[in-house]
Amino acid sequence: MELEDSYYPKAQYIETATGNRVSRASVLCGSQNIVLSGKVIVLNGVIIRGDLANVRVGRHCVISSRAVIRPPFKKFSKGVAFFPLHIGDHVYIGEGSIINAAAVGSYVYIGKNCVIGRRCVLKDCCMIADNTVLPPETVVPPFAIYTGSPARQTGDLPEATQDLMTDYTRSCYHHFIRVKDLPPQAREGANVARLVDV
Amino acid sequence: MSAPKQLDPSVCNVKVTPGAVVCLEADYYGEITIGSRTVIHPKARIIAEAGPIIIGEGNLIEEQAQIINRLPEGSEPQDPPPVMVIGNNNVFEVDSYCQASKIGDNNILEAKSHIGWGVELTRGCVIGSLCSLVCPQTVPENTVIYGDELHRRSQAEKPASQGLQLDFLTKILPNYHHLIKPRKKVAA
Repeated sequence: MELEDSYYPKAQYIETATGNRVSRASVLCGSQNIVLSGKVIVLNGVIIRGDLANVRVGRHCVISSRAVIRPPFKKFSKGVAFFPLHIGDHVYIGEGSIINAAAVGSYVYIGKNCVIGRRCVLKDCCMIADNTVLPPETVVPPFAIYTGSPARQTGDLPEATQDLMTDYTRSCYHHFIRVKDLPPQAREGANVARLVDV
Repeated sequence: MSAPKQLDPSVCNVKVTPGAVVCLEADYYGEITIGSRTVIHPKARIIAEAGPIIIGEGNLIEEQAQIINRLPEGSEPQDPPPVMVIGNNNVFEVDSYCQASKIGDNNILEAKSHIGWGVELTRGCVIGSLCSLVCPQTVPENTVIYGDELHRRSQAEKPASQGLQLDFLTKILPNYHHLIKPRKKVAA
C-alpha cells in the first residue's frame, strides 16, 4: 500500500545535512546531548529531553506529533541517575506516546497514545499497539505484539517485519514533501520539483 | 524568535519560594504560588482561571502535565473563588491532567492520567497511566487505581519519596533552562 503524500512548508522545518527534518514547533531540550543519525522526521509538538541524559535516535525514524522522549530515571542506594536512551533504526513512534524506555531496538512500531514505562527494553522487530501501557522494566521480545493496560503479549509479527518496517519508514520519509513557504522564493522552485520526483 | 525572559505580569502572577526550580518555558495563567523544592519542567501548563492555585513543597510537575483550576461549564462564578490546594511531595507525570479540587500529600499521577473536576485526593494515592476519574469523589488514603478496568486496591506502604530525583533535577535543570526567580520581597 502506497502512503499518501503529506506536505510541509519549508519555513516550519529545519532540514539538516544528514537529512533530518525537525519541526520548529518541537522542543529539543539540551540539544547538544541529542543525536539524530539521519533521515529522522520529528513532527511538531514533540519533546525530546536531552537535558536529562543523552538520547540517540537511529536512521529513518519517524517521531509523530506530541510524542515525548524522555530518558528513564533510576534510584540507587547512593544517589540517582538518568540513563541514556538509545533508539534503533527504522522506528516509528505514534502520536502522543511517551517513551521512558532504556532501549528501543530497530524496526519497532509504537502506536498512538502509548506509555512505555521506565527502563523498559524493546527488542528489535516488535510492535506496541495504540493505547498500550507498558509497566516499568518490561522487556518486549522480538516479533511480539503487546496490547492493553497493563500490556500483555497478544500476537506475533511475521518474519518479514524487518523489511516491512524498512519500507514503511522509508516511504514515510519520501512521502513527507517540502513545499514552498509562504513568501515564494524563486530559487526553491527547482528544489521542490526534485523532491517531488523522488 | 527569542523566548521572552520574563513572564507577562498581566497574564499571570507566579510567586516562587526560594529553593523551587520553575522553568520559564511552561504555560502559566492567573495567580499561582509555588512552594520550595518544587520542580516544574518546561512545557507544563498551570492554569488558574477560576481562582488561585497553591502548590506546596517538594512537588514534581513534568512536561505536558496540566493543572487547571476551572469551573465546569455553565456554572456561576463562585464567591469567594475556589482555591486549588496541592500539598507536598506529589508527582504529576508526563501528560497528566488534573482539575482536582484538593490534593493532599505523596500522591502520584502517572503518565496520561486524568483527574476531573470535584475529585479530592487524600494521601499516598497512585492514579495509574491512562486512568481517568471524572465523577466528584474523595479517593481514600493509599489507594492505587490501575489498568484498563480501573481496578482499585489499597497499598500498605506509602509511595517512595522523590526527594533524590528532585535534588538531581534542581542541580541540572538550571544548566539548560531559564528559570523564574523568586522575587526579593518574597525572600525577605
